[in-house]
Amino acid sequence: MLFTTKECIDKTDEQLVTLTLKNKEYYLCLMKRYESKLLGYILKISNLDRQDAEDIIQEVFIKAYQNLNDFDFKFKFSNWIYRIAHNATISAFRKKKASSKTVSWEDKDLDNILESSLNVEKANIQKLTHKQILEIINHLPLKYKEVLILKFIEDKDYRVIGDILHKPMGTIATLINRAKKSLIRELKKEGINF
Amino acid sequence: MKNISDEIFKKIKDNNIKPKPRWHFLTKNYFIWLMFGFSVLLGSLTFGIILFMITQLDWDIYHYLGDSFLTTVFISLPYLWLIFFILFIAVAYYNFIHTKRGYRFRFISILFISLIISAILGTGFYYNGFSEKLDNIFLEKIPYYKNLTYTCENQWMQPQKGLLAGTIGEIELFKNSFKLIDFDSNQWKIDINDTLWKGKLTPSTGLKIKLIGEISGENTFKALEIRPWQKRGKFFNLKK
Repeated sequence: MLFTTKECIDKTDEQLVTLTLKNKEYYLCLMKRYESKLLGYILKISNLDRQDAEDIIQEVFIKAYQNLNDFDFKFKFSNWIYRIAHNATISAFRKKKASSKTVSWEDKDLDNILESSLNVEKANIQKLTHKQILEIINHLPLKYKEVLILKFIEDKDYRVIGDILHKPMGTIATLINRAKKSLIRELKKEGINF
Repeated sequence: MKNISDEIFKKIKDNNIKPKPRWHFLTKNYFIWLMFGFSVLLGSLTFGIILFMITQLDWDIYHYLGDSFLTTVFISLPYLWLIFFILFIAVAYYNFIHTKRGYRFRFISILFISLIISAILGTGFYYNGFSEKLDNIFLEKIPYYKNLTYTCENQWMQPQKGLLAGTIGEIELFKNSFKLIDFDSNQWKIDINDTLWKGKLTPSTGLKIKLIGEISGENTFKALEIRPWQKRGKFFNLKK
C-alpha cells in the first residue's frame, strides 16, 4: 500500500521517521519531501550533471534508510539528511573530479548569493552575465562554495550549517566570512566595485 | 522530472533493504565514548607519572651540574611520557569529535576539557602514590625503561660533579664518617666533618640519602650537605 500525499502532509519529518521504522511505506513521504531540495543542493555544490546527481540522491536515500535507527530525535531530520547528502556528494565529486561546465543554478539564486552575502547592488551585478557569476562561484574552493550555498541559497542558520558540515558554529562563521572575502576578491578582478 | 523517489522505493522493496538494528549504532556510540574515557584515563596516568618524575627531581642543584636552569630543564623533562601524554590526548580528541555532538565543539575546547580531566585525575593518582607505584613497576618489569627516563638516581649519581646518593652502611661517629653504598653498589667513605644535615635526618644504617660535596680521595667523599632521599613523606616507603 502506498500513502497519498494527504496522509503525509500534516506529519513532521520526525513523526515520519518513527512511522517509517514501523512501516517502510512512509519512507516514500520523506523521500518526496526532500527529493527536489536535495537534488538542487547536490547540483549546486558539485557541478555534477543531473544523472550523476540522481545517482547520488539514490545513494543518499538508501543510506539514510539503512541508518534510520541512528537518527537522533534531538536533531532535525532535515539537518541529518543534508549531512548524508553532503558526504555522498563530496565523495562522488572527488571521484569524478567534476568540471564546472554544468549550469545548474537558477538566476535568482545567483542574484541572492551576491545581494545577500555581499550587499552588492543590482546595477553592479548586472555588469556581469550570470554565466560569468556562475564561473566565479564555481571556481571558489568547495568549502567556501558550500557555506555560501547553505547560508544564502538554502537559507540555513549557523547551527544548522554546523550540523550539516559537522563543524562548530564559530568555524562556520569564520568560513562564511572567508568565503565572502574570497568572492569579493574574485568579483573585483572582474571590475565589480564595492 | 522522472519520479526518483518511486524508483528508489521500488529498489528498497525489491532488494529487501532494511534499516540496520538500533543496537548496531548504540554499540558504536558506546564504543566511541568508551575509547574516549579510556584515552583520558591513560592520559591521566601519564600525567601523574610526569608529575611524579618532575617532582622527584631536585631543581635547586642545577648549578652543581654546571648547567643553566634551562639546560637542566631540557635534560630532565620526561620526554617519553610527554610523547605518550600527547598521543593519548590526541586519541581522546579523535574519539570525542566522533561522538554524536562532538563536532559542535572547537578543537581548543576539546583539548582543554581533555587536559583538565587528565590533570585533575593525574594529580589524584600522583597524590595517592599510584603514579610512583606505576613508575616502580615499569622500572622493574620493562627492560631499558631506566635508560629512557631521567630519574632521581640519574640526577644524583654524578660524584664527579659533587652529587652522590645511596644507603648508609656502617656509621663511625668518632671519626665523623660513615660508609655509603651507592646505587651502583660502590662503597664510599663519607666525611661528615662540615656537613649540613637537611630535613631533620637522624643518621642510621639502611637510610637512603642524597649528598652534595666533592670527591676527596679514592672512594672518599666529603659531604657538605645531606638530604633525605625522598621529599614526599609517606610515599617514600613505596620506593625500593
